[in-house]
Amino acid sequence: MDEGQLKESLQRAGYVPETGLVTTLWFAQTLERPVLIEGDAGVGKTAVAGALAEALGRRLIRLQCYEGLDLQQAVYEWNYGRQLLAIRLHERDAGALSERDLFSKDYLLERPLLAAIASESPCVLLIDEIDRADEAFEAFLLEALADYQITIPEVGTVRARHRPLVILTSNGTRELSDALRRRCLYHFLEYPTAEREIAIVKTTLAEADSRLVEQAVEFVQRLRKEDLQKTPGIAESLDWIRALHQLRLKALPEDPESILRTLACLLKTREDRFQVNADQVRRLAEGRRPGVASSA
Amino acid sequence: MEARPLQAIAGFAALLREHALTVGVAEQRAMVEAALALNPADYRKVEAGWRGIVCCDAQSWRRYPELFAAYWFPDRLTGTVRVSGETRPRRDLREAVAALHAFMDGQAGRSHPAADTALEGDSTADAEAGPARAQGGASRAEALEQRDFADWQAQDSRQLERIVEAIAERLRRRLIRRRRLGPRRERLDLRRTLRASLKTGGLPLAPAWLVRRRERPRLYVLVDVSRSMETYARLFLRVARAFVGVLDARVFVFHTRLAEVTPLLVRDRGRVQEKVNAVTAGFGGGTRIAYGLKQFQDLYAGRALSRSARVFILSDGFDSDPEQELRRELQRIRRRGARVYWLHPTVLRPPSRAVSGAADLVNAFAPLHNLDSMARIRRLVE
Repeated sequence: MDEGQLKESLQRAGYVPETGLVTTLWFAQTLERPVLIEGDAGVGKTAVAGALAEALGRRLIRLQCYEGLDLQQAVYEWNYGRQLLAIRLHERDAGALSERDLFSKDYLLERPLLAAIASESPCVLLIDEIDRADEAFEAFLLEALADYQITIPEVGTVRARHRPLVILTSNGTRELSDALRRRCLYHFLEYPTAEREIAIVKTTLAEADSRLVEQAVEFVQRLRKEDLQKTPGIAESLDWIRALHQLRLKALPEDPESILRTLACLLKTREDRFQVNADQVRRLAEGRRPGVASSA
Repeated sequence: MEARPLQAIAGFAALLREHALTVGVAEQRAMVEAALALNPADYRKVEAGWRGIVCCDAQSWRRYPELFAAYWFPDRLTGTVRVSGETRPRRDLREAVAALHAFMDGQAGRSHPAADTALEGDSTADAEAGPARAQGGASRAEALEQRDFADWQAQDSRQLERIVEAIAERLRRRLIRRRRLGPRRERLDLRRTLRASLKTGGLPLAPAWLVRRRERPRLYVLVDVSRSMETYARLFLRVARAFVGVLDARVFVFHTRLAEVTPLLVRDRGRVQEKVNAVTAGFGGGTRIAYGLKQFQDLYAGRALSRSARVFILSDGFDSDPEQELRRELQRIRRRGARVYWLHPTVLRPPSRAVSGAADLVNAFAPLHNLDSMARIRRLVE
């Protein structure tokens, strides 16, 4: 699949990629390198992996990182309950069950990393929010991503038949190690431009009125330039436009109070709700800069 | 076009390195592989492809397009100064990619070792070429350290953070009584071990361990934002922000009253001064350092002020409270075991009577007017 085809497939999968991202993803596939995607929350980092899996017709395996994530939850774990049950069942006929049997793949619980490496068919592995996992796990990941193999002492080494296409995402809550960064291709996802955001909304919400979409997207684009504690992402604008569409609106209402009532979809902190008042909404809807009087 | 196509890429890598991007031999090799993976007709796409390879954080990501254009398309850049007599090297990305393909096709039999040696050879050539390129203009690094804070730009904040990081290294981590989960077998965490043993039928197969915790001293930064400090307050707030970012300090501003501004400094979004103005609106004129310190202890720090606390006061020392008040408040802080550092915007120690009367209670005075003086603070702090 060449780059143009990959772009088309991503669009068919409902993802409108920004310039450069398709090239990076195509390089990741060609050079067999993981991709590290950074950007603010809500810019569509995680969605890239889902769309890529769909575009390439691969299975998506997701590992959600969190503080305290250990190898048992990320790589593999022995099914202790089942092992115990097997021992009980074979208590009478000693010798029917050897120790080797107990530590065979039948009793192994595959967690996302092992599942991706042992996968029979090529897959996409999403390691989401890697910055939330601790440094020890990051170091392990570095090793796993270098060789694409995992050693289980009781079973042996599992090597990847097909190298999974690995997508790592990070929100920047912790600085990642240089070693991990250097092993990956890097892409920084910015908030979408107005044109791209309109395309995204139209792809997802084809039934919404075109005028409403354009006006709402322009409004969100201006709102993002305000000094907010939590800048609304793409998911928030989709939610908002969906809500406006449900209200059977064909365009943004003229009355700022009506807009203000629907802003629960966009503003997610008390400080931001407090900061954005009717005057500011009118200004944003009209596209004026702060301090410039309304022509009306 | 350079004699060898790899040389052009190595030159670009050298330029990126000069601008603090991490581009080693592995990255250069990946750049060559990426260029070879593309159809020569799609040479424009190497810009996006190489960006993914050489950038590793948001900062380098944003800087890349300019560097790419500066190297491959210098004619497109406007506003650049051309040194007389210098002939601008002619580089053509399309030719470079095409030549690379041709070069590799020619090398097909010996291919990879040849590419490797060529790259390594080029990187040594760059080492020689690197300084020569830097001769074009004077370095600004030295000037930056001497520049007064009043002339500071927002983008210089990174330098400031680096100095605060050096201060952070000086602040030794101390053992504290509380323990945390750890890998070493120091003390058994009975509760967690028993909880985890439920999964294995009551057998504690995976015991949990607790280890002693070390913590860095807690930092408090008090910034004077009174009229007399107007010129410096903005920059002192920037210093305070670096402390928040690197050392998780708590920051307060005061003139006639005191208010905490830490949450306003956590996000690196600018407009700090406006927000601080909003917080301190209605405080009235004058400076009440002693009253500020009293409020700091009574309302905020209180019992948290202990042997492991460090209090930085950023002020010119002009206090409108009675002079013995300042002494009393500093004494209260010192009695709790905390250390006090007074950073002043003047070269000499604040001459005010209040400060002179309480000088023995301050662990160290230090001027803070440029980066050099900031770096010297590192030696005082412990």
